[in-house]
Amino acid sequence: MDWLERELKGALSREEPPADFAARVLRRASQPVRPVYRWPRWLAAAAAVIVLAGAGLEYRQYRGEMAKEQVMQAFRIASVKVNRIQSAVEGVGK
Amino acid sequence: MTALCGTCFSLSRRAKLACLLVCFAPLASAQQFQFNFDRLAAKASDTVEVSLDGSTLQFAAKFLDSKDPDQDKVRKLIAGLTGIYVRSFEFQKAGEWTAADLEGIRSQLKTSEWAKIVSVKSNEGETDEIYLRKENGKLTGVAVIAAEPKELTVVNIVGPIDLDSLAELGGHFGIPKMDTPKKDTGKQK
Repeated sequence: MDWLERELKGALSREEPPADFAARVLRRASQPVRPVYRWPRWLAAAAAVIVLAGAGLEYRQYRGEMAKEQVMQAFRIASVKVNRIQSAVEGVGK
Repeated sequence: MTALCGTCFSLSRRAKLACLLVCFAPLASAQQFQFNFDRLAAKASDTVEVSLDGSTLQFAAKFLDSKDPDQDKVRKLIAGLTGIYVRSFEFQKAGEWTAADLEGIRSQLKTSEWAKIVSVKSNEGETDEIYLRKENGKLTGVAVIAAEPKELTVVNIVGPIDLDSLAELGGHFGIPKMDTPKKDTGKQK
């Protein structure tokens, strides 16, 4: 185990910092901190508004298409029945 | 209506009831006669139920394509309408519906506002009726009852509508119009 102790002692032995270490740390600390880029809040809000508006428009389109189909179906049934009745009435006079 | 209903909370019970009636009167009066075909719907092999009020009709009108001839005609027809209600049932066999199912409707159509303008009975067991509703001399609604042995259809169109245009539309939906030679003296209605 001597070799291990020697290795550990060597690795963990106290070392003095370089002479300019303190100066380098102070110089680095005095430099302005580079800001981490963050998305602006207004941009996030705008994106949310756009997404919601898009979803709203999509839903409106869906509802409109559904309503249109129902209207067409209602008129399809009503018109065919009225057409048949009208034709039957006209047929009586032949 | 919302503002009106908001004031209801501070009223007495009777006043609240009256308030509710006022608030929901437009909804109740949208359909000009009531029909309840739950019993028939359970028996039917094919059921169509359409209930569209005025606002939905006008909303749907915005989505009708004016370049499509059928849709353009429908768009013009619904311009002044405030509702359309359709119940149509198809049955596997005859005899699933009875005259009693229609009596409730016919009794509602016996009021002075309604006038039966057409009634057709055929040997095949078909019974068709058209009623017009007039208020102050103006057409305000149409009721159609078309009863066949295996099919029953009731329609209530609320508002002024040109029946000739509606009938003409019937020949455009992929179904050939059943034209018959007209008499010189005009239509018999």
